[in-house]
Amino acid sequence: MHPSSFEYFAPARMEEALSLLSKHSGEAKIMAGGQSLIPLLKLRIASFPYVVDISRIEGMDQIKEERGFLEIGALTKISELEDSNIIKDKYQILHEAATQIADPLVRNRGTVGGNISHADPSNDIPAVVIAMKAKLEVIGRKEKRTLNADSFITDSFSTALEEGEILSKILIPIPDTRSGGCYIKQKKSAGDFSIAAIAVQMTLGDDYKVRSAGIGLTSVAPKPTRAVKAEQYIEGKRVDNSVAKEISKIVVSESDPSTDFYGTAEFKKKILGRIAEDAINLSYERAMVK
Amino acid sequence: MSTTKIKTRINGKQIESEVEPRKLLVHFLREDLGLTGTHIGCDTSNCGACTVLVDGKAIKSCTMLAVQADGKEVTSIEGISKDDELHPLQKAFLEKHGLQCGYCTSGMILTSLWLLRKNKNPTEEEIRKSLSGNLCRCTGYQRIVESVMYGAQLMIEKEAEEHEMVMR
Amino acid sequence: MNMSTVRWEDSDLAYDSSNFVRGKGHFVDDIKLQGMLFMTVLRSPYARARILSLKGGMNSQDLGAKMASVGEGADPGAGISIEPVFATGFVNYVGEPVAAVFAEDRYKSTDLLESVEVDYEPLKPVVTMDDALAFGPIHEGMKNNILVEATKGDDFSDPKSPIVLEDTLENERVSTNPIEPRGIVASYADGILNVWISTQSVHSIKEGLVESLNLNPDNVRVMQADTGGAFGSKGGLYPEYVMASYASMKYRKPVKWIETRREHLTSTNPGRGVRSRVKIFAERSGKITGMKGDVLIDAGAYGSGIASFSAQFVAMMMTGPYSIEKAFVTGRSLLTNKVPQGPYRGAGRPEASFFIERMVDLLADEVNKDPADVRLLNTSDKPFNSPLGMKIDAARPFFESAIKELEYRKEAKMTKGVGVSFFVLVPAVYPGESARIMVRDGRIRVWLGGNSHGQGHEDFVKKLVNEELNVPGDLVTLYRGDTGMTKVGVGSWGSRSAIVAGAAVVSVCRKLKKDVEDDNGTYSYELLLAGSYDEFINEEKRMTLNSFGANLASVEVGKFGTVRVKKCLAYYDVGRALNKEMVIGQIQGGMAQGIGQTLHEGLFYNEDGQLITSSISDAGVPLAEDLPNFGVKIAENRSALPHGAKGVGESPTIGVPTALIRAIEKASGLRLRKTPVTAEDLMQ
Repeated sequence: MHPSSFEYFAPARMEEALSLLSKHSGEAKIMAGGQSLIPLLKLRIASFPYVVDISRIEGMDQIKEERGFLEIGALTKISELEDSNIIKDKYQILHEAATQIADPLVRNRGTVGGNISHADPSNDIPAVVIAMKAKLEVIGRKEKRTLNADSFITDSFSTALEEGEILSKILIPIPDTRSGGCYIKQKKSAGDFSIAAIAVQMTLGDDYKVRSAGIGLTSVAPKPTRAVKAEQYIEGKRVDNSVAKEISKIVVSESDPSTDFYGTAEFKKKILGRIAEDAINLSYERAMVK
Repeated sequence: MSTTKIKTRINGKQIESEVEPRKLLVHFLREDLGLTGTHIGCDTSNCGACTVLVDGKAIKSCTMLAVQADGKEVTSIEGISKDDELHPLQKAFLEKHGLQCGYCTSGMILTSLWLLRKNKNPTEEEIRKSLSGNLCRCTGYQRIVESVMYGAQLMIEKEAEEHEMVMR
Repeated sequence: MNMSTVRWEDSDLAYDSSNFVRGKGHFVDDIKLQGMLFMTVLRSPYARARILSLKGGMNSQDLGAKMASVGEGADPGAGISIEPVFATGFVNYVGEPVAAVFAEDRYKSTDLLESVEVDYEPLKPVVTMDDALAFGPIHEGMKNNILVEATKGDDFSDPKSPIVLEDTLENERVSTNPIEPRGIVASYADGILNVWISTQSVHSIKEGLVESLNLNPDNVRVMQADTGGAFGSKGGLYPEYVMASYASMKYRKPVKWIETRREHLTSTNPGRGVRSRVKIFAERSGKITGMKGDVLIDAGAYGSGIASFSAQFVAMMMTGPYSIEKAFVTGRSLLTNKVPQGPYRGAGRPEASFFIERMVDLLADEVNKDPADVRLLNTSDKPFNSPLGMKIDAARPFFESAIKELEYRKEAKMTKGVGVSFFVLVPAVYPGESARIMVRDGRIRVWLGGNSHGQGHEDFVKKLVNEELNVPGDLVTLYRGDTGMTKVGVGSWGSRSAIVAGAAVVSVCRKLKKDVEDDNGTYSYELLLAGSYDEFINEEKRMTLNSFGANLASVEVGKFGTVRVKKCLAYYDVGRALNKEMVIGQIQGGMAQGIGQTLHEGLFYNEDGQLITSSISDAGVPLAEDLPNFGVKIAENRSALPHGAKGVGESPTIGVPTALIRAIEKASGLRLRKTPVTAEDLMQ
């Protein structure tokens, strides 16, 4: 209930944040909305000598379409994503994920960047950015670099961020016409983490065959997972029930769930199979009408 | 033990304080400022007994550090009514039996207030969804939902009255 | 709140629910006293281990006391298995208190946990009831893990019966999870130990502290803080209360302890945790001719909660509202390396009802009859004394009207997934309750031996005082429980308050009326209020009351194994409803808990005895989104008491799970034997 002591910094500028991280290298923790970090500090599951609160850095909370990308600042609150008209109208997959994260109060503080960087295999945004083939912009003291969403999270609670780097924005390629996607999450009760969840995004060609697809999975492996084989299988095909069924089998084969409080591995695979089928069908349907 | 200076506006009052960075906003409100209407019911950000408004948005004050409230405006249950007059939502919860033990009530009212400021006339489903970060163990929620609906009506009526007063 | 001089005039002790909407309640954590220390408890990380060495904090070397068993279902005869205040020699469950540390604020107090050094030698724990039967005793000096064994009824040899059905049925442990966790402030000054506490019974707490710490009862005063829900878990003594009281005497400073939710899950007595093998004998018509049961109670590590009482209590109620002529039930409470079991809303009643109702549904399927008809067939239109020791009023007339009021026949025609349940609630009337009324300065002040924590005691008190004495309700104030104001008293549990506290209020009112008449030759409320009176009664009651009830549930089971509750209805005999709105509110809240137990709630332990349920959300407390609107109808068949009340608080946790699980069984086509029913159970 009561965190251990730490020193706290709330820099207003990125450079300042980076220099603090470098000064306290190895001992500093980045905090954005704190909705995952503060519970860990409270229960003393984790403690850090220094906490660098980046939430006051300006200009990192915008949602805009620019130069072919939907750009989401890492400090954008989940609730801002949820309320954004651009997201509601054009990125249903993101809207659906955002509205199902934790509860409205947590979404009022939690950030998109935090949801990704915390690298909890049950967090929802990672699967979505994987499915949307997003690029993640990362700023360090020396350089700014971009990483592919599917290589950002390396393991449970681990990312490709180097010591002292900060995730600054998420760049999602603006989908072509005839694109559609969705996020389906199955949970025990409202507000829970998922038993399994899936993000699917696809673009169809003029012939209504799938031109490209992205599939990301939540809670069914030690890290958010890209279902690469399923993506390959679907490309070049028109989706009907039998294709969706086949894909769902491949998706399940690419998962690696463990038995835990949320259910047995076998149960999670069953759930995943069913939501995968639904998600493929729904995404295809949405892509057809766009 | 180092402390940090923060300036906050709590229930309309400008406050300067020295706090330990590790202190949670809920403890700052309850222990440093004596605002004990904000409660603590869990340690995993589930129950919402600690809900307050920060810059108008409902948040869990057990999952925010007091230092993070620097420069921000905080409204707790004690700040939603003036003097002895109850806020329409407070009236509604009393009249419609939206509480039994009373422990979750502050949080329920503040989350509902945030909802009703965004959405004056929510449906039952919208209310239930909005309350998914607030747990009640006594009522089964039905009376809480009814209280929020009734509160919405009272707030609309009050706004209309105030509007009329201004027009006159 | 100024502490050493709390007097009855202090408005802080008045119970006023309008405080809560203003954030002006007086919960125990709101109390701030000069020089107060905050206590934090170091708890066992092991389900079972030998303590090899222990240094630091306050521990069993400072306080070798044992827990007094008090409160609902208390059994002082738990012998070797009485819980120590601090673990002594061994730890026997994850979360068992080992040491306590004290500092001027809660952050520093938590920091101090690191100053305690403990070496453990982990031992293989006895986690499940099967383990308890299979392995040697968890406590040295015991022969086995059977805490108590009871039998009800006379044994009989299996009759030659056209139908014999047998099944094993189970309720998982459930955490009570009031939104306010437990807490206490203890302050010792001028030879008096003052205690403020979140509780269902100030008298149990006082009795417990007096016994555990060997104190003079005249020097202990226990006062109830506003209590943020309890549901059974705040009726008795806990180790932390003894520690905090002892520490306040030792350090001569006020001491506060507030439970965290994590502690609540690991260390507050949870309810349910029962299993029974049940066998019924019946005719082809569906008439049950006999039943046998073998009930197992998962007592946890010590006999400090309700576990030793549960064995015989559950056994006694196993025939439900039905006229079953032959019955024999054994009950055994088994020691396991888990937190001791305690009462949870119903405290044995829902368990017994679950066993008989599940069997009746099975029987209905076997004889291919409507379950409601099989139920009716087995009720009587005359009072019935069950072979297990229950006195049942004529049950059939009520259930016939219940079928109509719930519109069961129509629902059963329309919906596949429908279930109906019958039950009889026998409230905990014995040994009665106390009440005190003081008339001063034109106002009426009332104290009860048991205290309100949201059930609306203040409403029935006002109503009864008004009826008996004509005093307007706004001149009547109910005060929170206070052993300084009532010499003796019992507590709020077992659906008893409106019955026994209500009866005590009526009796005190009648005394007051007589006092006024003696003084003035006549009675008027003006004369009463102009005078100065103070009357107390400890009214003993022994009668058996019956509150019949029936529930209907209808559901849909989705392809992910999720259950959508479409309808959840109740028809309960509540006696005379002293405040209809409060009664309905109570029922709705209990129905939510009934749904919770059936679909979501449980405490799950791994093979090492570690609790894997790690939050209130994991424990399954339902959210607004998880629940339907409830349909509640009440029948008001007055009891024989002057004010006509019966019990109601526990009815919904008895009747909802049984109706709901049947509805799910019908919708899914799967025979269901335990709660909670998970999506995984239903996924096909």
